[in-house]
Amino acid sequence: MSDLSVSMSAAGGLPQAPVLPEAPAKVTVRNLNFYYGEHHALKNINLTLGANRVTAFIGPSGCGKSTLLRIFNRMYDLYPGQRATGQLMLDQTNILDPKLDLNLLRARVGMVFQKPTPFPMTIYENIAFGIRLYEKISKSEMDDRVEKALRGGALWNEVKDKLNASGLSLSGGQQQRLCIARTVAVRPEVILFDEPCSALDPISTAKVEELIQELSENYTIAIVTHNMQQAARVSDKTAFMYLGELIEFDDTSRIFTSPTDRRTQDYITGRFG
Amino acid sequence: MAVQSDVIDDAGPYDRAKALGAFKLGDVTFYWITRLSAISVLLILGGIIVSLIVGAFPAMKEYGFSFLWTQRWAPSADPPVLGALGPMYGTLVTSFIAMLIAIPVGLGIAIFLTELCPQWLRRPIGMAIELLAGIPSIIYGMWGFFVLGPFLANTFQPLMIRIFDGVPVLGAIFAGPPSYLSTFNAALILAIMVLPFITSISVDVFKTVPPVLKEAAYGVGCTTWEVVRSVVIPYTRVGIIGGVMLALGRALGETMAVTFIIGNSFRISSSIFAPGTTISAAIASEFAESDGLHQSGLILLGLLLFVLTFFVLAAARLMLMRLDQKAGK
Repeated sequence: MSDLSVSMSAAGGLPQAPVLPEAPAKVTVRNLNFYYGEHHALKNINLTLGANRVTAFIGPSGCGKSTLLRIFNRMYDLYPGQRATGQLMLDQTNILDPKLDLNLLRARVGMVFQKPTPFPMTIYENIAFGIRLYEKISKSEMDDRVEKALRGGALWNEVKDKLNASGLSLSGGQQQRLCIARTVAVRPEVILFDEPCSALDPISTAKVEELIQELSENYTIAIVTHNMQQAARVSDKTAFMYLGELIEFDDTSRIFTSPTDRRTQDYITGRFG
Repeated sequence: MAVQSDVIDDAGPYDRAKALGAFKLGDVTFYWITRLSAISVLLILGGIIVSLIVGAFPAMKEYGFSFLWTQRWAPSADPPVLGALGPMYGTLVTSFIAMLIAIPVGLGIAIFLTELCPQWLRRPIGMAIELLAGIPSIIYGMWGFFVLGPFLANTFQPLMIRIFDGVPVLGAIFAGPPSYLSTFNAALILAIMVLPFITSISVDVFKTVPPVLKEAAYGVGCTTWEVVRSVVIPYTRVGIIGGVMLALGRALGETMAVTFIIGNSFRISSSIFAPGTTISAAIASEFAESDGLHQSGLILLGLLLFVLTFFVLAAARLMLMRLDQKAGK
C-alpha cells in the first residue's frame, strides 16, 4: 500500500493530541450487521459517535469502513439486495426504521464523497439547491445563506466573483470544498466524509483537514480514510476495522501509541494493509 | 505470433527491413480504404443534392419562390398550378405534435426504466421498446388505418371537439367533424414510431450519470424526482437533445405510415382533425403517375424536405451551443 512508508514514520513521532473529555453519544451503533446479498460484510459492530467529535475509521481496503459510513445515511437503500440488521440510533431516531423519511434523515446526516461531486449547475446554485429542498426563503436571505455556506467551506474568497460560473469549472480541491459547503448549507447534525482527500493534492488536503477540525465545533463528524497520518491529525477517536469486524475503538492518541490488539498494531506500523 | 517472431529473429537486417516494408504497404492500403469509405459519404451526399436540384430545376424556373407560399396543388390543370405550402405545413405540424407527445412519454419511460423500475420488470419493458422500433412502418400505417383511425374518430376526437367547442383558438384547432384520416392521427402514429428512439437513447445517456453524483444528490436529501430534474437531466442534456433530434429527423421524413392515414389533402385546415398531407406523403402518393412539370414539382418538394431537415438539425446544434455557453462550459 502507498501508505506503508508514511505510516512507518507516523507510528514513531506522532503529534500528541490532547484527549478530550468523553462526549455525549450522537450516534449509537448496537449489534449492527450488514449484508450485500449473501455476503456478510459487517459483523456485529458496536460503537458510538460522540457529539461534536471527529471519529476516524481506518483499516485495509474491503474491511467495511465505507460500508459502515453508508449505513449512517441509508445510502445503501438505493441498491436492491443490500440490508442491515441491528440497531442504529441518531439521538432518539432509529435510522434503520423502514418507515423513516429518508430525505429528512439525509438532511440531518450529510455526506462528502471520495471524488468531488459538484452538480451540473452554477456555484451559487450548487449551494442554493440543497437549501431550497427544505426551506422557502427570499433571494436576499438565500444570498446570505450561500455566502455563509461558502465561508463555512473556506471557499468564499476564491469564488465570490464568479458565483455564476459552473461548479465544474473549479479545481479538484475547490470542488471538494464546494461539496463540503453544500453539505453544511443544509445544516446537518452529522457529516460523513468518505475518503474526502484521496483525490486531492497535499495543499488542498491540508485545507480540507483544517476545515474538518473547524466543522467539529458544530457538527458530529465521521471520516473514513486510508491515510493514517490524516486520521491521527484530525480525529478524536479512531476505529480500526478488519474483515468486517470492529477490532479496536479508542481515543486516537491511544490507538496510535499503545494499541491493545496485535492486528491494530500491525496495521498502523505498516506490517500489512 | 511465435512463428512470426522466430522469422524476424533469425533474419538479417536486410530481411527485417523487407518484412517491415510489407507491413508498410498494408498500412497504406488500410489508410486508403478507410479514407475512400469516408469520402464516399461526401460523394453520395453531393450526388443526391445535385440530382435533386437538376430534377427540380424546371419547376423552380416555372414557379420561383411563389412555390413556397402557394396553397393550390392542381397538377392536371393547364398549365399545372403547384404550391408547396400545404405539404410543408403538414410536415411541420405533424412532426411538432408528434414530438409534443413523444418527448414527455419517451423521457418518462426512460426515467422509469433507469431510476424507478424494479429489476424484474426492466427487461420486458426494454424489449418491448426495442420491438416497437423494429416494426416496419407499413404495419403502423395499416394499424393506423384500420384500428387507430376509427377508434380516434369514434372516441377521442368527438370528446375534444365537444370540450373545446366555442373556446377561442383551441376551438379552431380541435374543430369537427371527426375523421378517420387526419393530421392528428398521423401525428399520433409518428409519436409512437419515434418513441423508441427517444427512450432508448435517453436510457443509454441516463446510464452514463456517475452513481456517485446521484448519491450526492440523494445525500443532500433529494427525492427521486428532484435528482432526475436537477442532476440527471442537466447532466445528460446534450445526449437527450441528440436523441430528440434523431427522432425529429425520422418524423419529418416518415412516409409510408403517414401516407396511409393523413388523408392526402393539400388544403390547409386550422383543425388538426381534418385531413392534410406531408411532403413525403405527397411524393409517395403521386410520384408514380407524374410526369413533366408535375414530377419536377414533386422533386422540388423533396429538395425542400432536405433543406427543412437540414435547418432543423442546424437549429438544434445552435441551441446546444447556446445552452453550453449559458451553463458556463
